[in-house]
Amino acid sequence: MAASIALKTFVGLRHSSPETNAITISKPAASPPRTHFRITASKSSPRVTGRNLRVAVIGGGPAGGSAAETLAKGGIETFLIERKMDNCKPCGGAIPLCMVGEFDLPLDIIDRRVTKMKMISPSNVAVDIGRTLKPHEYIGMVRREVLDAYLRDRAATAGATVINGLFLKMDLPQSKTAPYVLHYTDYNSKTGGSGEKKSLEVDAIIGADGANSRVAKGINAGDYEYAIAFQERIKIPDDKMKYYEDLAEMYVGDDVSPDFYGWVFPKCDHVAVGTGTVTHKGDIKKLQVATRLRARDKIQGGKIIRVEAHPIPEHPRPRRVLDRVALVGDAAGYVTKCSGEGIYFAAKSGRMCAEAIVEGSENGKRAVDESDLRVYLEKWDKTYWPTYKVLDILQKVFYRSNPAREAFVEMCADEYVQKMTFDSYLYKRVVPGNPLDDLKLAFNTIGSLVRANALTREMEKLNL
Amino acid sequence: MSMAIFSPKLPSFTPHSHAKAHLGLRPSYLPLRHLEKLQPPLVMSSDSASGVAPTAPEETPVTSGVESLGSNGSATPPPVAVESVNGFQDARWIGGTWDLKQFEKDGNTNWDAVIDAEVKRRKWMEDSPQSSNNEEPVVFDTSIIPWWAWMKRFHLPEAELLNGRAAMIGFFMAYFVDSLTGVGLVDQMSNFFCKTLLFVAVAGVLLVRKNEDFETIKKLVDETTFYDKQWQAAWQDETSEKKK
Repeated sequence: MAASIALKTFVGLRHSSPETNAITISKPAASPPRTHFRITASKSSPRVTGRNLRVAVIGGGPAGGSAAETLAKGGIETFLIERKMDNCKPCGGAIPLCMVGEFDLPLDIIDRRVTKMKMISPSNVAVDIGRTLKPHEYIGMVRREVLDAYLRDRAATAGATVINGLFLKMDLPQSKTAPYVLHYTDYNSKTGGSGEKKSLEVDAIIGADGANSRVAKGINAGDYEYAIAFQERIKIPDDKMKYYEDLAEMYVGDDVSPDFYGWVFPKCDHVAVGTGTVTHKGDIKKLQVATRLRARDKIQGGKIIRVEAHPIPEHPRPRRVLDRVALVGDAAGYVTKCSGEGIYFAAKSGRMCAEAIVEGSENGKRAVDESDLRVYLEKWDKTYWPTYKVLDILQKVFYRSNPAREAFVEMCADEYVQKMTFDSYLYKRVVPGNPLDDLKLAFNTIGSLVRANALTREMEKLNL
Repeated sequence: MSMAIFSPKLPSFTPHSHAKAHLGLRPSYLPLRHLEKLQPPLVMSSDSASGVAPTAPEETPVTSGVESLGSNGSATPPPVAVESVNGFQDARWIGGTWDLKQFEKDGNTNWDAVIDAEVKRRKWMEDSPQSSNNEEPVVFDTSIIPWWAWMKRFHLPEAELLNGRAAMIGFFMAYFVDSLTGVGLVDQMSNFFCKTLLFVAVAGVLLVRKNEDFETIKKLVDETTFYDKQWQAAWQDETSEKKK
């Protein structure tokens, strides 16, 4: 009761905000989340007087860039801290079609449109997928440095302050209204190479600083299992490059990766050949050699121009939100299983978290607290949980062993499978198809798995 | 270190062809390996070096590769005789699949022989992974072998085994229960407890084939809910926070 009265007087006193609110936020009296154990403290939290809410976004990748843009557009004083502005991230670089629309990406950011994929089984059975794609559908391949810079620039245009600096640590506040103090090394100033130590007071923090997140360490978010993705960028002769013009390859097999897959993805003018694993990190070099062997004929004559590796989270951290700090993107662990896709989910989670802060603070006029950030967590889990779970099941079933992978590749030849796969990847919808087709698919899947496993048992007999 | 890596992968190869395989593979890799030697400073950006081995071991295979080539004198020109590593070769393997006409016996296709051939091929491929080739793509699909061939070869013997086990267990249990309670077989079947026992016995025979299966089943059940637990960890945290 007191809360709504406070709301009324607040609305009356507020000056009309000068910021043009491009993003329509639902009206401030929107009901707080309705789970019984949630305290709706934010509605009675104090007004931020004399200034707007200050939020720092640590990390300027897709998650940080889109979070900063949404915050800035929502009228919040935003600081985006990124340590390396031209960071050439080791990354597959594939973005789904829906990301182009949802984030208004200009088409020239996309280096290549992949419309065909080849899946190659342990015994080299090769299956082409992509027949079911419509002419306007594709998987976009981007260079991370280009995409990240674009999103950061857009955030800056929207009003965010972009700081080139390295986040060191944060001081947790002593009370519910005290600010967080961030300590970072600023590389902007003219004081030579090592940068200047500075500190910044903010009211809330979004940790978008990737798999080795320092923000996560700062809030004791806990660890996750991670895969090592190892990739070599190889410049291959033009005639071989033609084959990869709009085609990406996926190699599965124990030799290439015991729990993931090896890939050849086309980039702007070279290919990226790589593999990854969670359980056999020490063997990553051996796995990479095997991947190169499998693709040998197609990348022959190529020169390695860069070698890179990066950890990829396998599941969310135990704690994604604490007080007024939230994690998004890789820092939170939002990478899907089976395909290892992370760019879209990073950007989307950054945006969702920022939207929750904008809404909870009523465009920067009120302080936020943990319950507002939990709104973002709830929305995220509800929207994307089915996607993550389905991919987890697929990984558990089909990446289990060589026969399972053979069955997987066999199933990919089926048109219905291709249609469902691409629909769910490109548009991020788990669309329930025709039940009769689903039944046929289940039947065929079991058949493939049974046949492949039977063959493997015979193979083992040969060994004895 | 890579030398050791290569040897376990080719166990079925004679030492002679093994050396040939080395030679066959090395030349095309030499430029790549050479550049890799120069790459170490570029490997991984500073903060992601966790757990990835340095490229130092790469040095040894390059030098030893050069050595073996040098000692062979002028035998350097590419693929001396690399047929043995250039994909699966078999008289009946044509165009990336099995030529069913060559498997005929008395006018019908001998599906067992097709299965045997494919098993051998997969075993060979697993032991020595091949480069996947666009000129000779593998298009074999196990579904060309009809379902009854699979049934006859794999399902029926196993079904016989399991039915045999179930019959032995059933006979003994029926006798045992009868001797303890005096209830005959027909009356046992109408009793709920006995029906439950029957269900458990059938499920047990189907699922538990080896001693290890008990552990395997427990692990599988855990596995199905593990991912969910990882996702809900953030919410467990909240309820415990509220109690503070």
